[in-house]
Amino acid sequence: MKYKSQAVAKLYFTAAIGLFVGQILFGLIMGLQYVAGDFLFPEIPFNVARMVHTNLLIVWLLFGFMGSAYYLVPEESERELFSPMLAKLMFWVFLVAGALTILGYLLVPYATLADITMNDLLPTMGREFLEQPTITKLGIVVVALAFLYNIGMTILTGRKTVINLVLITGLIGLAVFFLFSFYNPDNLVMDKYFWWWVVHLWVEGVWELILGAILAFVLIKITGVDREIIEKWLYIIIAMTLITGIIGTGHHFFWIGTPDYWQWLGSVFSAMEPIPFFMMTLFAFNMVNKRRREHPNKAATLWALGTAVMAFLGAGVWGFLHTLAPVNYYTHGTQITAAHGHMAFYGAYVMVVLTMISYAMPIMRGNKANNERAQVLEMWSFWFMTVSMVFITLFLTGAGIMQVYLQRYSDAPIAFMAAQDKIAIFYWMREIAGLVFLVGLVLYVMSFFVKPGVKVNA
Amino acid sequence: MRETFTKSMARNIYYGGAAFFFLIFLALTFDTVSGLSKTDNSQNLTGQVAEGKRLWEKNDCIGCHTLIGEGAYFAPELGNVFTRFGGSTEAIKAFIKSRPKNGIPNRRSMPQFNFSDEELEAIAQFLKYVDGITTARDWPPNKQG
Amino acid sequence: MDKTAHSSSDIKTASQAALLSLLNLTLLPIIAFSALLWIYNKTQPGTIARYHAELGIKTNLFAAIALFLVSALMIAFGGFDSAWTWVYVISYFTIVHTTFIIFAVWALVRSWSGEKLNKLM
Repeated sequence: MKYKSQAVAKLYFTAAIGLFVGQILFGLIMGLQYVAGDFLFPEIPFNVARMVHTNLLIVWLLFGFMGSAYYLVPEESERELFSPMLAKLMFWVFLVAGALTILGYLLVPYATLADITMNDLLPTMGREFLEQPTITKLGIVVVALAFLYNIGMTILTGRKTVINLVLITGLIGLAVFFLFSFYNPDNLVMDKYFWWWVVHLWVEGVWELILGAILAFVLIKITGVDREIIEKWLYIIIAMTLITGIIGTGHHFFWIGTPDYWQWLGSVFSAMEPIPFFMMTLFAFNMVNKRRREHPNKAATLWALGTAVMAFLGAGVWGFLHTLAPVNYYTHGTQITAAHGHMAFYGAYVMVVLTMISYAMPIMRGNKANNERAQVLEMWSFWFMTVSMVFITLFLTGAGIMQVYLQRYSDAPIAFMAAQDKIAIFYWMREIAGLVFLVGLVLYVMSFFVKPGVKVNA
Repeated sequence: MRETFTKSMARNIYYGGAAFFFLIFLALTFDTVSGLSKTDNSQNLTGQVAEGKRLWEKNDCIGCHTLIGEGAYFAPELGNVFTRFGGSTEAIKAFIKSRPKNGIPNRRSMPQFNFSDEELEAIAQFLKYVDGITTARDWPPNKQG
Repeated sequence: MDKTAHSSSDIKTASQAALLSLLNLTLLPIIAFSALLWIYNKTQPGTIARYHAELGIKTNLFAAIALFLVSALMIAFGGFDSAWTWVYVISYFTIVHTTFIIFAVWALVRSWSGEKLNKLM
């Protein structure tokens, strides 16, 4: 580790992994509720489990992004972090606020939580992914501002690399677009339209900048390829992200009461959205192939390559699968969407955070890379989680195709619940794949505690 | 990605492309929002409907249902429930009211929210208003949602 | 690794061949394949260009069989009007197609550095 203050990232990464475990446990609860509808009812109804599942994901990814920024920005800027104290303080503020929010979801009915937190003063709750009480949202804004100030001052007073600039642009965008979560008009069409300014412009916009910057940083470190080349790739990838992704928001404006021109614009631009992910695969493969050194951290290399491939598969291919308006007419709001959501979030954002953790954590713990046995275990966890996520996606895709056929496409459409009963087999298989994912996650956590073994001759 | 294509060219494409398409997006947004009253059923957006939307949000209905295709995929689409229930707000209210407190063995069940009659009416009116929004190709494809 | 053994024009042809292979799998099916065959005819045996042209042709022929023949068989045996047929066909086609694309990307990256798929082959 080049700078002492980079170590604050360790706190963030530890919390991220802890919350990741929680997220998966709630995912398994929901998965079971899909087939055993009364499981944990009425104590933890599905909507509560889902809120916990998705909110934990968002929060731990944010912890991961912040940790990554705290690790890479000082190294790129060639100076200590502007204020390690502020970073630590904000960590605890965010963790406590996050934990209280999750406990609020679990311990009291959601309506009571809305009352306690005085949602009526500025109603923002109860919209998908933005379920957090308004005061939590305000807390997120405060944490984000303090974080941006800290990172921004470090970059401004240090070396300004392309990676730093792209990262901070992405992070500022993240904060700015989050502000639309406070806009909640009574008009449902308006509500939906600007809700996507948070959700879409996050995950198919500015988050990809953050993803690109983190991946580029790790690739520079592990491959030793010339920075000029990597930065050129980074620019062109994120250029394509924004060129396709901004108007690509239109694929969410097909059926919500917005004008018909969105059918064309949304289809054409979002059909091009796989391009940046495709280029990311090309980029990562190319850099690893042209590597100038053999970095001892094989696990981090695997995660980096995995991110590129799985982001292309989940966000690119599975997004394209249902993004054209004539297809989306049938698939909108079915298990196809769930399939895409799972693989895209895992492939792009979960994996890039795990890539960064894999690279940075050993260094913060005093080694250039983990010992061989720990790395082998970590790579096993990679394959368990990644392969099981492919299967989760395939099973949900199967469920979705069946659902579309029975409920929407058929000449004699059947009711939602009747269709759900007919596709239960897919949900059972998804749940089993989910358990395999959990095994992978347990192996992942264990890999942090593996001591070097006695050298065996081989 | 050869010598002729420089980093500064890549940077210019990034800044230029992002700015250009964001401005187009803003213009399209302006156009969309200003013409929205033709489709958004805002003429029926009463105080009661707004109250219904608050209740919809306060009970996290979106955590199980989809509303015009967005939300969770655990329970039926409600953007067209008014049509599906035969154009009757009474039927909607009766359904919500009759949910068993402890669920249904082995089945998915909607929780019992213990709404007052006034609240039930507001929610039903909200769902009726949503059903009145004009969507492209009259989405969803059929009344099953 | 004997990178120096290949001339730069040879590597350029190899890169073009690998790119056409990828294009045939994605944006320009058939057209790109015709161009690939044309490039193959220009290459000399034993060169890296011939290697990648041949690899591209084999990859695409194999992909055509794996994607179209197998899918057609699925439809033939499963029936056009069966939901299960489409569950299999769409999932199968998507995942296998992507696998070929990823493979072709790796081949392209290797051709750029004038190398075969791996050192042994």
